[in-house]
Amino acid sequence: MSLGSKLDEAKLCLKAGRVTLPYPVESPGTPEQFRGRPIFDASKCIGCAGCANNCPAREILVFDLCQEIRILKYLGLRCTYCGRCAEVCPEKAITMSRDFETATDHIGDLGQRLELFMSTCQRCGRCFKVPTVLEELKMKGYRFDDLRNDRWIFRSQSRLEGDPLVDDVEIDLD
Amino acid sequence: MLKNFCQKMFGRSLWVYHANSGGCNGCDIEVLNALTPYYDAERFGIKLVGSPRHADVMLCQGPAMRSTASALKRAYEAMPAPKLVFAIGSCACGGGMWFDCYPVIGPVEKIIPVNYYIPGCPPRPEAIIYGVAVALGLVDKKVAPVEFKELELPIPRYHPDELRGQGELVIYEKAEKV
Amino acid sequence: MPIMWRIAGGLANMGMVLLVAPFAQGVLRKITARIQSRQGPPLLQPYFDLLKLLGKEDIESGECPVMQQFAAYLSLAVVLTLACVLPMGFASPMNNAADVILLIYLLTLSGICTLLAGLAAGSTYSLLGTSREMMAMVALEPLFAIALVVGAVHTNSLRLDKVLNGSVYGAVGIPWSGVIMLAAMLLSFQAFVQRVPFDISEAETELMEGPLAEYSGPKLALFKYAQMGKLIIFGALFVALFAPWGAGLVFPLGWLLFWVKVFALVLLVTLVAATHARYRIDQAMRFFASLVGVAFVALILASYGF
Repeated sequence: MSLGSKLDEAKLCLKAGRVTLPYPVESPGTPEQFRGRPIFDASKCIGCAGCANNCPAREILVFDLCQEIRILKYLGLRCTYCGRCAEVCPEKAITMSRDFETATDHIGDLGQRLELFMSTCQRCGRCFKVPTVLEELKMKGYRFDDLRNDRWIFRSQSRLEGDPLVDDVEIDLD
Repeated sequence: MLKNFCQKMFGRSLWVYHANSGGCNGCDIEVLNALTPYYDAERFGIKLVGSPRHADVMLCQGPAMRSTASALKRAYEAMPAPKLVFAIGSCACGGGMWFDCYPVIGPVEKIIPVNYYIPGCPPRPEAIIYGVAVALGLVDKKVAPVEFKELELPIPRYHPDELRGQGELVIYEKAEKV
Repeated sequence: MPIMWRIAGGLANMGMVLLVAPFAQGVLRKITARIQSRQGPPLLQPYFDLLKLLGKEDIESGECPVMQQFAAYLSLAVVLTLACVLPMGFASPMNNAADVILLIYLLTLSGICTLLAGLAAGSTYSLLGTSREMMAMVALEPLFAIALVVGAVHTNSLRLDKVLNGSVYGAVGIPWSGVIMLAAMLLSFQAFVQRVPFDISEAETELMEGPLAEYSGPKLALFKYAQMGKLIIFGALFVALFAPWGAGLVFPLGWLLFWVKVFALVLLVTLVAATHARYRIDQAMRFFASLVGVAFVALILASYGF
């Protein structure tokens, strides 16, 4: 508590200089694995609602408008940025961005709403993934096998038109 | 004229009162961090005061609980106008993870009107300072609502209107989409 | 003619106190911040604070609103009256009208304003802060009074221009009483200006609200202004009593030298305030009691001519 010790203390503090970060002017980086606001990528989302089932704050709401259209609504107001939705998403459509500058004066600004078309099978009504071109070659949709000649016809395009794709076969439609 | 001048000074010196109505103290610690030398909030003129009567801004954290709701309302009414309320953390913004628990009434805005929301769990001290800067008008806010609608259906649907009869054949109109 | 000069001098003193007090507070906050390794508030921050407080709504709360208003006006009024009485670079404007006894009572009155403020508000925290302020005042006010009485004893007069002129060093030979009083005043100066380590009652808004808890808006602005003014007033009193060298210079130089000395004192207050922790009320009382004992020893020595 002597004067000398207090002066030493003041000198020690002054040696550190000024450590204040000039924050709003320059932004410091965020660490590598920082979990900020989740971003929903609608082009990858298949609408499985795994994120909605996993969210601890029940932040993601799911609504099926009809057989084919599903609305996923992320409210944003209660989100604790825990990252469970991103962990569970099978298509990696949710990324926890490194964005933390989310202050706003209207809480609805944080919401993200996706309206997705769920690809449903035309015959059985279940959802499926859009096939690639190679898979389409083997698609068993409408079948046009040749019953008269007992031949199996593979079609790369399912056309109900009259011209046969294969020259030697005449197709009869009823 | 003096009144105008005084009101312009409002943004240069904000006195802050900190009210925790039932939170976990995570956001308390981040608010305290914002006052430390590293993220110094005092350079904007912000000072922490101990009485709501001296304060301009109330920093609320924690959801509004049944037991502290009346105390929060009284602290809000004790503040002299003009006043602002900032809701810090996801518990104050929307109820957090506990929005449907038995002691929780909901977000703070069910009890007192909130002017600015700073979500996060807990928000970084930089996020809190960013929120204050948005309130002071120094920076613009960065978030906006996002909506996505799929307008083009990728799989064709054989709608009966699009099938045209031609004698014995049936022709599908939009064949190129198949 | 002399009366016009005196009135002008008094008004100039009041104006200087009103202008410089927030600036001194700003310097104090900035240096405290730099010692804490951070960029502090801008130097003109207390001016912004006061102006903002003037623009806020005035909520009437507490037990006796009339007394609260009276206490607010009284605090700033006492500070400005003290500014008229003290010599700030030139001779005291109230030389013929005031003497040392009035000065002692004005100093006590400035402390009583805070007590009035706390008691008029009447809430629990106010009363607690007021009781601590009362305890501190009882131990502190004798110190400055004894310093002035030592000066009066040395110069055998109660006139302001004789006493407030370094009169504590008036003894022949080594001025023991002067040196002892200087040490005692330096050690207790922080308590008079209500800074750490002795700001138990009022600036203790971090721990408890203190006597000013129920005040808002313009009344709070008056109290804060009075607090800032007290730093300058006590600094001026200290300089006049203990460090009057150079007061006889021609007008601009003497006046500037006076303000330089006051700012040096503000710097000393800042350094002590930034590197110390706050004392509890019982620790502080023991400290003050020992200082009062030492001051009495100095008084006895002075009355014997030492």
